[in-house]
Amino acid sequence: MSPHPAPADVPAEATPERASRRALVTAAVGGAGAAAVLPAVAPDRAEAASYRPRRHRGTPLLGAADRHLVTRFSYGLTPGLTRAVRGAGGGRRWFERQLQAGQTDAATRALASWWPSLHYSPQKLWQRNIDEVEGGWEVMADYQRWLLLRRITTTRPVHELMTEFWMNHLNVPVHADAVFGYRFDYDRVVRARALGRFSELLKAAITHPAMGMYLSNAVSTKHHPNENLGRELLELHTVGRGNHYDEDDVKSSARILTGYRVDMWRTWEARYRPEDHWTGPVKVMGFEHRNADPDGRRVAEAYLDYLAHHPRTAQRIARKLAVKFVRDDPPQALVDTLARTYLRHDTAIVPVLRALVASRAFKASAGDKVRDPVEDLVATYRALGVRVTRPTRPVENPAAVAILWQSDSIGAVPHDWPRPDGAPIDNDSWSSPARLLASMDVHFTMSGRWWPNKGIAYREPVDWLPAPAVRFDVLVDHLCQQLLGRRSTSALLKACCQAARVGPATRIDREHGVVKWEFPRVLSTILDSPAHLTR
Amino acid sequence: MTTTPLPARTAEAAPCCDEFARLSRRGLLTGGAALGATAVVGSAVITAATASAASAAAGKADSVLVVLSLRGAADGLSLVVPYSDPAYYRARPRIAIPKSTLLATDGTFGLHPELRPLLPLWTSGELAAVHATGLPAPNRSHFAAMEAIEDADPGSERRQGWLNRLVGQIPGSSPLQGFNLGGGVVPTSLFGPNPVMAAGDVDGVRFAGDDEWDEGGRLRSLHTLWDGQRGALGTAMRSAFDSVSDFEPVKATADNRTARSYPNSELGRALSQVARIVRGDVGVGVVTVDQGAWDMHTDVGTLEWGAMRRNAADLAASIAAFFTDLGSQRSKVTLVAFSEFGRRVAENDSWGLDHGYGNVMLLAGAGVKGGRYYGTMRPLEDGLDSDVAVTTDYRSVLSEVVTTRLGASRASVFPGFQPEDVGVMSSL
Repeated sequence: MSPHPAPADVPAEATPERASRRALVTAAVGGAGAAAVLPAVAPDRAEAASYRPRRHRGTPLLGAADRHLVTRFSYGLTPGLTRAVRGAGGGRRWFERQLQAGQTDAATRALASWWPSLHYSPQKLWQRNIDEVEGGWEVMADYQRWLLLRRITTTRPVHELMTEFWMNHLNVPVHADAVFGYRFDYDRVVRARALGRFSELLKAAITHPAMGMYLSNAVSTKHHPNENLGRELLELHTVGRGNHYDEDDVKSSARILTGYRVDMWRTWEARYRPEDHWTGPVKVMGFEHRNADPDGRRVAEAYLDYLAHHPRTAQRIARKLAVKFVRDDPPQALVDTLARTYLRHDTAIVPVLRALVASRAFKASAGDKVRDPVEDLVATYRALGVRVTRPTRPVENPAAVAILWQSDSIGAVPHDWPRPDGAPIDNDSWSSPARLLASMDVHFTMSGRWWPNKGIAYREPVDWLPAPAVRFDVLVDHLCQQLLGRRSTSALLKACCQAARVGPATRIDREHGVVKWEFPRVLSTILDSPAHLTR
Repeated sequence: MTTTPLPARTAEAAPCCDEFARLSRRGLLTGGAALGATAVVGSAVITAATASAASAAAGKADSVLVVLSLRGAADGLSLVVPYSDPAYYRARPRIAIPKSTLLATDGTFGLHPELRPLLPLWTSGELAAVHATGLPAPNRSHFAAMEAIEDADPGSERRQGWLNRLVGQIPGSSPLQGFNLGGGVVPTSLFGPNPVMAAGDVDGVRFAGDDEWDEGGRLRSLHTLWDGQRGALGTAMRSAFDSVSDFEPVKATADNRTARSYPNSELGRALSQVARIVRGDVGVGVVTVDQGAWDMHTDVGTLEWGAMRRNAADLAASIAAFFTDLGSQRSKVTLVAFSEFGRRVAENDSWGLDHGYGNVMLLAGAGVKGGRYYGTMRPLEDGLDSDVAVTTDYRSVLSEVVTTRLGASRASVFPGFQPEDVGVMSSL
């Protein structure tokens, strides 16, 4: 980074910053203790006048309600997404289209060929692993990169978000022991059912080899049924903790699931083995079955169907959706409505999402959710309008590779929460000072185009100027529209003035210090604002 | 447990400008609130908070408690083996640890051979084990058990972890700040009204852009955006504003990961960071470290292969390196390692162990009457469902540690709990 010459065109005494400071110091001397806080009111009002946002006449923005809906159900508002929503006839119509199955997602299709190993069979991946051609963990890291780039580029964000939501709910950490051969297929299976019925999703996920290997069901036997998956299925995936089941239910749950085996470390063949299925009567809460057939798949499916339709499962799924998409403490009335909708529609998710966005609680929740580290990173790529290119071998740490290290630096990477309960989705968990400092580091580094600096095309500072010469306050308004999809505020204008050390009326052109030196500070100020760190 | 949120902070007047911020920061310092810290290094989470106002004001903590949570439920019967009980060998025909290989045997118990790096601490009387500890009632859910153990105030609706109560109840303690090195989430044990602070790693405790070319505009601008912001993010930003500069002494310490031969593991990395925080001597009193790969439903393995061998070696080498690395601060530090519950007595068909009940606690460092085993183990049974019966409530052990080392009132840390005498700590 180059040194920053102090801008010459700001008369020091005239900046509102200094004026307000003087006012405060004077008042603080006169008062004592807590009274020192009071005079802040007056300067605030004075400053609001000094930092009145100016309007840049850009392309049309979304209204507040649509902006809220689209921000919450996408990975970040961009000028392109704004155009798409307006083209669809507004937020609700756009949302309805997003819910339809069979929509193509051309933007992400190109990514399919970036990492060929993702499409290899478990046997081939294992062979490459033991031949030390490519470690399984490397394939999984590429899978995480594929996910990050999908989220950045997708034109079907609702489907992508729901895929993420369910994979977190039915968590199989990508770096869990042995799962790498089947983990990409697990993604495919969840993705195909992400906007379908929970009962179908649950059956596919719980009996999938990746889940079986992660929670020990793939090696469970009738002699000693392994309780790992049988317990978490009840506690985490469906009805949740409480007094409604006991340790005998857990044992039955584990017995029902025996038979879904994977020949781990040898052929990796995944197959149902009746000789490993525990037979005999089973009972889990209200579910009872004679379970006499050595092929226990029918009883397992009936059991999973029972769990998916259980009112406690409905409550838990409804609450989790409301916490993810409405607020951390959703009204019980909303949860009840969503749970009823879920049961009435035979566990179909789309009607639940429709009811959610139609609710008063949703409409009143704009900006109430904190972006988690991954959401923040993806939204930052989108806001800055960077273009990531296919990684090529000799290039070290191109953006398509480095993006995973960036995500890790903020404190989370896609689907690697190391426990079966999935990564937290509440605000408190992702509001540690650590996370904020790390987020601001990524914002600043990318605003300066410092890193990643290969395999990525950034906009140059001069590309952000809406005209050859423009007042600073107009520039800030333009940037807020581009980065946040909304107009500037007094606070954002003031913060940008402080960061760039210029006044609102300063005339900015390509030769100005703001463009030549201070632009990273201006961009990162906007990315560090509450508006960018929430959704 | 579904979340491990950062504690909400007590409301304080939002600084309205940089002068006020400096004033308030100075006020906090003279008032005695120095730093606490939380760190996340990969899957290992470190959390810390200051001990007491008095020691913090002097820039010193007289005692540091390090709580190491072995997440996923470590198998205490492999770490500290009840080798005199034949039922142990009957129940584990393939994975039992042979008696001849055990260390520090006393006729009843012996240490896993991979714990050899800990022998010097054992021999010098700085390491002890308390067996058959646990919750007062069995609970085989990881998440329920962790919550119970970390909140440790049964029946209370209030969400406040025992460590949060601890830092809040030490006499003279003022509102605390904390640190989160790594950006992950803070454990339930520290959740509560007392504030904590956090960062990516020790060296990451800084505001990007607050650099030599900046002339203060960067922080002024962030104050403009965030002062007065409500909610979890606003609170976190205030903690960051108030704490970053105070953390400088820790950043000035050397990273001894290589010099002290820490294992190249999550735990090794985490404990090397904890050592820096302690050596920085900025008044940190309580540190928690979460380490999470002990849920061995499969492949506990033997002395030749498997997860237990690997984890035990990592645990021992990390703790040994940590105590060496502490240098002159070593005499302050007490480490307690334990899990949310234990595992079954009998092995399963996958060379693994399902969830059980009673477990072992390890204590090392200052104040520990080490070189011996504590606790009573009832004779084991070898049925599929047999558990280690709990004979010592884990809170009795923790009570002894917090009262002797940190001078805390156990009634406030573990409300309503009547501890039994374990005798593992020497009184101050």
